[in-house]
Amino acid sequence: MTDLRQKLERAFNPRTVAVVGDKRALGYLWLNAMKTFQGKVYSVQISPDEIPGIDAMNVPNYFSLLDIPDELDYVVCAVRRDISPSIVADCARKGATAVTLFTSGFAETEQEEGVRLQRELGELARENGLLLIGPNCMGIYNPRLGLRQSPDQPAGEAGNVGFISQSGTHCINFSLLGYVHGVRCSKTVSYGNAEVLDAPDYLEYLTDDPETQVIGMYIEGPKDGRRFFAALRRACRRKPVVVWKGGQTEAGARAIFSHTAALASESRIWDAAMRQAGAVCVDSIEEMVDVVQGLLYIRPGSGRRVGLIAMTGGQSVVIADAFAQAGLDVPLLSAASYEKLASFFNIIGGSYRNPLDAGGTLAMGFRLDNLQRMLDILDEDINVDAIAIETGVAYLVRRGALHSSLLDNLTNLLSEHKERSRKPFLLILQAGNQEKEIAEIRGKFLAKGIATFGSFQQGANALAKVIAYQKNTSEG
Amino acid sequence: MSSVDIIDRAKSEGRTVLTEVESKQILEEAGIPTARAQLAAGRDQAVAAAKKLGFPVVLKVLSPEISHKSDVGGVKLNLRSEEEVGAAFDEIVAAARKAEPKAKVEGVSVQKMASPGVEVIMGMTMDAQFGPVLMFGLGGVFVEVLKDVAFRIVPLEPRDARQMIREIQGFPVLEGVRGQPPADLAALESMLLRLSAFVEEHPEIAELDLNPVFAYKDGALAVDARIVLS
Repeated sequence: MTDLRQKLERAFNPRTVAVVGDKRALGYLWLNAMKTFQGKVYSVQISPDEIPGIDAMNVPNYFSLLDIPDELDYVVCAVRRDISPSIVADCARKGATAVTLFTSGFAETEQEEGVRLQRELGELARENGLLLIGPNCMGIYNPRLGLRQSPDQPAGEAGNVGFISQSGTHCINFSLLGYVHGVRCSKTVSYGNAEVLDAPDYLEYLTDDPETQVIGMYIEGPKDGRRFFAALRRACRRKPVVVWKGGQTEAGARAIFSHTAALASESRIWDAAMRQAGAVCVDSIEEMVDVVQGLLYIRPGSGRRVGLIAMTGGQSVVIADAFAQAGLDVPLLSAASYEKLASFFNIIGGSYRNPLDAGGTLAMGFRLDNLQRMLDILDEDINVDAIAIETGVAYLVRRGALHSSLLDNLTNLLSEHKERSRKPFLLILQAGNQEKEIAEIRGKFLAKGIATFGSFQQGANALAKVIAYQKNTSEG
Repeated sequence: MSSVDIIDRAKSEGRTVLTEVESKQILEEAGIPTARAQLAAGRDQAVAAAKKLGFPVVLKVLSPEISHKSDVGGVKLNLRSEEEVGAAFDEIVAAARKAEPKAKVEGVSVQKMASPGVEVIMGMTMDAQFGPVLMFGLGGVFVEVLKDVAFRIVPLEPRDARQMIREIQGFPVLEGVRGQPPADLAALESMLLRLSAFVEEHPEIAELDLNPVFAYKDGALAVDARIVLS
């Protein structure tokens, strides 16, 4: 184990935390975030205006990091930028493992003073072997230990998704939005200006982290593209990595002599690098959450032929459109399937080519026995590689089924189908005007391991990306 | 003259663009098959080179300042006799001087006329983030208008070469359409891998075009080549 890896292991799993410069104006953001932390929390604050608030939270406060009678694994520094070099120097003197600089106003300002101060911090940290995270970032989140970046993040439960983000907002939002879509974080880091540690360092750490099964990344631009590429290629050979690229970096202007150079736009090269490394690309936080959920919940499979079930004619048309537009095939079923369907399918106001337009046969969702038969038929069909269904749950809710046994039975039926079937399976759960109720129901489906998406397009896109990932991986 | 000598000479002359003859020599040394070209400074030399290579031949203007050779009337194809070569030499030099009066015309390159194949383009450029990258695409209109090309970061692994060839929209053309035999994909893959190793060994190269490469049923050949130093 390298020295860096050992230190990162300590920083991501600290026993002690110190918060420097938390204040009332911030709502004591950091000390509130650390309330769930299972190790020891210390505060450093010299302002007499701020100390009573800290005392009221029962956090021991000191005037200097050097006064704390304990070893320090992780420090969060929230002081003014001009004071931050002295705090980083104290971290070094104290022998702290890592410091997150929440403080901003450095290189991101593109002003001389900020750039100079950041370089100074970097030199201090590097000389002393101190891990410096940031500046201008939210640092580390480890929900298992209750180590958080924000007081509203979930704590106590260990997830299996790592997230590495240049932006603090996206990092926190991923943990929050992911949570309500069945995506639980193992460890995340918001790394900001990346003065000392950059994306490849965190990527290498999470690649080797046994707790982390899938890695998500938000990145605007790595400082060293070749190093990032090498780390990404290695990571993708161990576990899925989903990359969300933000912004465009400025291309260096120079004379171009060749066709090759003329065609090599920044976005083309980025896309090529991602494909070559084996990463899955997404364009938004919603798509990030969808695709990560798909990678976690949809059983692996690389076939592109999808069997579909919807409840009405209009729904059947657009579910087929959505999956076809995502590059998947919606084939005719086998003769054997059509024979079986003919024995019970109500073709008045319905049809069963593919999609199965099944509202009539399922009594708009109330007849689960027929849903079971349809799922079994699609599962056995040799023309079908994956199954996606929309069963009109919002309609059932409108008809008063929210707390009936019907939804529990549906959940159990789908969960048992998923366990039995070898084919990738997903549920489309359109909320319509029942957002609150559907959110509650979605939680139940997800708790049973059923991949659940809010729209046809989201489900189709997630399935297509999971299948493409599986296919690429199996090609070796 | 070895690669190192050619590059050193260009540098000492303050040139960043290597001529076709120089570029092909360097590529041959790296194991990349090219339609070898000989420099002919005068008419007689051009005729002698053609006789040695065997007819038919191609003559192209040789000037560091002229990059779009056919635009200035600087390319003559399918020359079948000493007389045709001699006349072509005079016409090329006159046309080039007329179109680009300030260009230094060193003469012409003489090469054996390659038998036609499927035109593809291979190239390399330096990306600001990822360093050297390779490009592959179909030549001619496919690259000029449709920009139907694939990129990969150097170094390429065999899988990368395989995938980038299959990634372009026009891939079916390489599999053989309208009775054309399929192109030798293994030869194209091996060419890309050699190119990757070559640019890795030569960080002083900023840009490179092999345009066109003729892909045959058996093998592939870089018909024109240009190397730009940083």
